[in-house]
Amino acid sequence: MSETTPEAEPRKLAEEARDRVRFEEEALELADQVYRVARRLVATREEAEDLMQETYSRAFRAWRSYQPGTNLRAWLLRILTNLNIDRGRRRQRSPDMQPLEEGDYFLYNKLEEAGRAPDIEQERVDERLSQDDVVSALSAVPHDFRDVIVLVDIGDFSYADAAQILEIPIGTVMSRLHRGRRILKGQLAEQAVSA
Amino acid sequence: MALGSDVDPCAKCEELLQPYLDRDLTDAERAEAELHLDSCSYCRKRYRFEEALRRFVRQASVEEMPPDLKQKLADLRTPLF
Repeated sequence: MSETTPEAEPRKLAEEARDRVRFEEEALELADQVYRVARRLVATREEAEDLMQETYSRAFRAWRSYQPGTNLRAWLLRILTNLNIDRGRRRQRSPDMQPLEEGDYFLYNKLEEAGRAPDIEQERVDERLSQDDVVSALSAVPHDFRDVIVLVDIGDFSYADAAQILEIPIGTVMSRLHRGRRILKGQLAEQAVSA
Repeated sequence: MALGSDVDPCAKCEELLQPYLDRDLTDAERAEAELHLDSCSYCRKRYRFEEALRRFVRQASVEEMPPDLKQKLADLRTPLF
C-alpha cells in the first residue's frame, strides 16, 4: 500500500515549516555574533549591514543544505565570507604590497623605546593603545591575514572552523594567523609611536 | 623548537611566543620556554604584554549590531502563509 495518504502531504509540509522556523530562529539568535565578525571583515558599517542582509537572505533560502547539529555559526560565516569574496572586497592590496612583518616583540619594543611601555603588572594596555588604534591597524592588515585574525582572535573560531569557513588548509590558517598578528602589531606600533 | 645554546635564547623565545599562547607547543617545548621565562624578565614582560594585547584587541574590535538590523534580518524570513 502506498504511504501517500491524503493526510501525509500536509503533515510533511507542517514538519518542514516547523524545521524551517526553528532554523530561522537559531540563525537569528546568532546574528549578533555573526555581525561582530562581519563588521571587522569589511571597512564600513554600511558594508557590514549589506553583507549581513545578503548572508541571511541566502541562508534562509538555502536552509535545507544546513545539517542540523553542526556548527551553524560557522555555516553562516562561510556564506558571509564567500559573499564578501564575490563582492571583490578582498582585492585591495596585491601580495607584493604587503606590509613588512616584524617580530613578535616589535610592538612592545617600540612602545618601550618611546617611553610608553605599558605597566605589565597592571596589564594596562588600554592606557597605551586606544580602541581606534586597534580598529585602524586591523583595517590596514591585508585581507587574507585579517580574515583569519578576525575569525580566530575576535570570532573565537578554532583553526579547524576557520579553515572550513575560508576553504583553506588548516596549516594555511596557522601561518596566516602567525604572520597576520605580526603585521597587526607592526601597524599598531606605527600608530602608537606616531601618536 | 629548542632554545639551543648556539642561538640567542631571547630570539628563540620570541619565536615561541605565539605557539606558546596558542597552546600549540609540545610539552618539551613548553617546558623549555617556561624555563627561559622564569629567568628572563625581558621575555616575561613581552609575553605578558602579548596576552594582554590579545584580550584588548578582542574587546576593542567589538562593535554591537545596530538594533534595527536584527529586525531587517527577521523580515527576510519566509512568510509562513
